[in-house]
Amino acid sequence: MPRTQTKLAIAVGLAMLALIAIQPLTVTSQTIGALEPRFGETIVALHRAESAGATSSEIGELVVLLNNALALNVEALKLNAPSDAPGRIELLAQVDQILTTVTNQAAELTAVAAQRTFTNKVLAYVGGAITAVLGTIAYAFLTSFYQRYRVKRTFEMRVTRKRVSSLLRTGEH
Amino acid sequence: MIVVFITLLVICEMVAYVATTPRPQEQFLQLYVLGASHMAADYYPNGDTDIGIGEPVTWYLGVTDNMGTVQLISIRVKIGNQTIRPPDDQQGLGSPAPVVTEFMRVLQENETFEIPFVWSVSDAVSVAGSTRILTLQINNDTYQIQDWSARDGYNFRLIFELWTWQTDANGFQLGWTASGEHRVAWLQVWFNMTSPRPTLG
Repeated sequence: MPRTQTKLAIAVGLAMLALIAIQPLTVTSQTIGALEPRFGETIVALHRAESAGATSSEIGELVVLLNNALALNVEALKLNAPSDAPGRIELLAQVDQILTTVTNQAAELTAVAAQRTFTNKVLAYVGGAITAVLGTIAYAFLTSFYQRYRVKRTFEMRVTRKRVSSLLRTGEH
Repeated sequence: MIVVFITLLVICEMVAYVATTPRPQEQFLQLYVLGASHMAADYYPNGDTDIGIGEPVTWYLGVTDNMGTVQLISIRVKIGNQTIRPPDDQQGLGSPAPVVTEFMRVLQENETFEIPFVWSVSDAVSVAGSTRILTLQINNDTYQIQDWSARDGYNFRLIFELWTWQTDANGFQLGWTASGEHRVAWLQVWFNMTSPRPTLG
């Protein structure tokens, strides 16, 4: 039993070593063309955030990060010599990191913006209904006030005799 | 009173709908090349279309995003001669001329991306009556050109194609699609190179 455990531990250790060793190779194989789909995925994530109602300033911060990633990508493309391989790997790893960050932030932004847009819509429609209720109450109040005013004016009227002399002068009577 | 309430409710909800619904707008991208004076003029040094070896030419290259969304764009710079086919607007195909370089950028809504485009023919030779451009220098980077020539050095052209990332196709395509229609934007500027090095070597 202890021997089996030792073998298992060695196997796990070797697997982990293999994974660590493979990691740089994976980054190296990411050429500009290979990274294009990653950029595409981030663009899709940004489109989702925009559709959810993210503001241009919120999107702008992510766009700046993406453009930094593109600039690093171009720098990596220029490092063609075999001796430049470590520098290229580092740059591509940074690009990869930025793309992951942007995708994650875009997903968070989508959730926040969707919630905010929903709240704003609900507030706008509820506000509309409240305005309609207040408007109706104001209308009712104004109507009753006007009617009371008319009644009051009617009761305040006085009966006075008309002056006929002026009418006689113009010959209308 | 109910009629008044319903009327007010309809009006207020319509206002709420208009306020919370984004307005549709015309979607397009704009590609431009300006001359040294930052205008659609002065494309050549001293107004002479014949460019000498090492003579720098300054242009400004720009794209404006009016698509209403973020766009990943690529301006592909190609070098061509008189006979090469230009981009096909109908089919949405790029020119078969070789790509010298490309400028990629992520653009926000209503954002303009503009860069100085300073280029020169750093090496060209005359081979059997044709001028062959060997290297182009663009913004301090040197690009090798493979087998590209023009008869007597006349009618070379730099072609600028605007490509955009299509999320549904997961790749770049020439132009863009808006409201179900495919649109293409490309430009070309002609030049001559009649004074190359005499022979190859």
